[in-house]
Amino acid sequence: MANQKSSSGLPFPVILVIGIAMMAGGFYVSKNVHIEFLTKLAEQGISLDPGKTISAIGVLLILFPVIRSFYIGPLGDAISGRTAELERTFTEAESLRSEMTQMRSDYERRLVETESAAREQIQSEIRKAQELRGQLEADARSRADEYLHKAQADIENEKNRVITDLRLHVVDLTLGATEKILGENVDSDRNRKLIAEFIDKVEVPG
Amino acid sequence: MTGHVFGLGIGLAALGVAIGLGLIGYSAMQGMSRQPEAIGKIQTAMLIALAFVELVFLLTVFVVPGSLKI
Amino acid sequence: MGEVLTAGTLLGAAGGEGGAHGASYEGLFVYLGIVVVILFLFLNSAKQGLNNRVFKKWTTQWTEQLYLFIENMTVGIIGGHGRKYIPLIMALWMIIFVSNIVSLFFPTAPTADLSFNLALALISIGYVQWEGMKANGVAGHFSHFAGPKLGGGLVLISLMIFVIELISEVMKNVSLSLRLFGNIEGGHQAVVAMNELGAGVYIPIGFFLLPVKLLTCVVQALIFTLLTCVYISLVTHHEEEGHEHGHGELAGAH
Repeated sequence: MANQKSSSGLPFPVILVIGIAMMAGGFYVSKNVHIEFLTKLAEQGISLDPGKTISAIGVLLILFPVIRSFYIGPLGDAISGRTAELERTFTEAESLRSEMTQMRSDYERRLVETESAAREQIQSEIRKAQELRGQLEADARSRADEYLHKAQADIENEKNRVITDLRLHVVDLTLGATEKILGENVDSDRNRKLIAEFIDKVEVPG
Repeated sequence: MTGHVFGLGIGLAALGVAIGLGLIGYSAMQGMSRQPEAIGKIQTAMLIALAFVELVFLLTVFVVPGSLKI
Repeated sequence: MGEVLTAGTLLGAAGGEGGAHGASYEGLFVYLGIVVVILFLFLNSAKQGLNNRVFKKWTTQWTEQLYLFIENMTVGIIGGHGRKYIPLIMALWMIIFVSNIVSLFFPTAPTADLSFNLALALISIGYVQWEGMKANGVAGHFSHFAGPKLGGGLVLISLMIFVIELISEVMKNVSLSLRLFGNIEGGHQAVVAMNELGAGVYIPIGFFLLPVKLLTCVVQALIFTLLTCVYISLVTHHEEEGHEHGHGELAGAH
């Protein structure tokens, strides 16, 4: 209470002195002063002792600042401090929450970005793969065609060679047969016809 | 005899004050039920009015015996 | 001190010796000492619960509730600047309430004594005057009593209003103190009367008045502080709130 002003604006020592003086004065008044009016009042059932009143005022004057500094001040401080702390906690929580919201929106934005980037990449990869596939397919097809052509050509060549060989062989056979026939009977028409028929028959498989 | 008159006077005062208190309570209750959001203010005003009406009876109690003796 | 001792032997009999005459000078201050001791024991117990962030002690919780209630009341009645009157109002509340509670269990109590109530009322009204002078200036405060400014021959009416207002200020003291005294002392008398009613069959009928008396204790403490708040609000109201309103209420009150 020393540095704190009381509610009436006076410093506490002054109030203390006034209070003690009023208590003493009240005691004196109560013992020595008798007012006619008050005795009449007491007969009516209203007992009023100004000494008691003055002393009580003195006591209360001292009591109020003491109670205030003893309890009500600390209680008010505690309550307002608690309120302030609560408010501070709330604002902190609020700011934290807004930060969290900010972070979340950031994260979500980044997530969306990443997703779209990934999708794009996947698309481009797919496109590339499709291109590659087409290329490979065309390549394979062309190579297969090439092989086919080559194989057909080989087959043709082989056939021609075999046919040529066969002709030669047939000619040789024919010559042999001819020699034999010639050895037996040359110049017979019937033989000539036979040879011709033979040759015709031989040439069919070719 | 004065004792009887005193009793009658106190009784009359109590009657009037009781009616007044009842009226205050009645209208306050009505007001509260009509406007529940104003209960705090109505209660404050009601208590003040009750206190003033009550004071009339107290004054009667303390004044009547004195006036009878004179 | 002799009377106090005899009063002490009659501790159980509510109402007892104190009667309409109240305690003697020494008796009053012994009872006031009892009130102060109870109050400070309670407050000391409550003070130990203050350090926590959440008040766990029941005494602390009670006083916290009382503080919040009174803060609500002062701010509601006086307005935004009413917060600085909380200590006075709360101290008044606690003294009157503890004293009323003492009156439930002891033959008499400080608030069952008109002289003590008059002291309370004088402090309350004196504080109101002090605040009025601080808010409006000494001259402004007294011209406040004279009602609206009237010119010419109507000064006489202003003078009359001034006198009436002065009487009403005095009557505020009387009404505050008499109300408290009448309620507490009246409760005692009622208990005594009802005890006599049941004296033949040894039943303390007056005992059953305790709940009503407890209610009276709370309500009287409440009304005393409430009226103090109203008086403070009347003198510290700012000009824009209007004089007429305040004076009309005052005139109606008395």
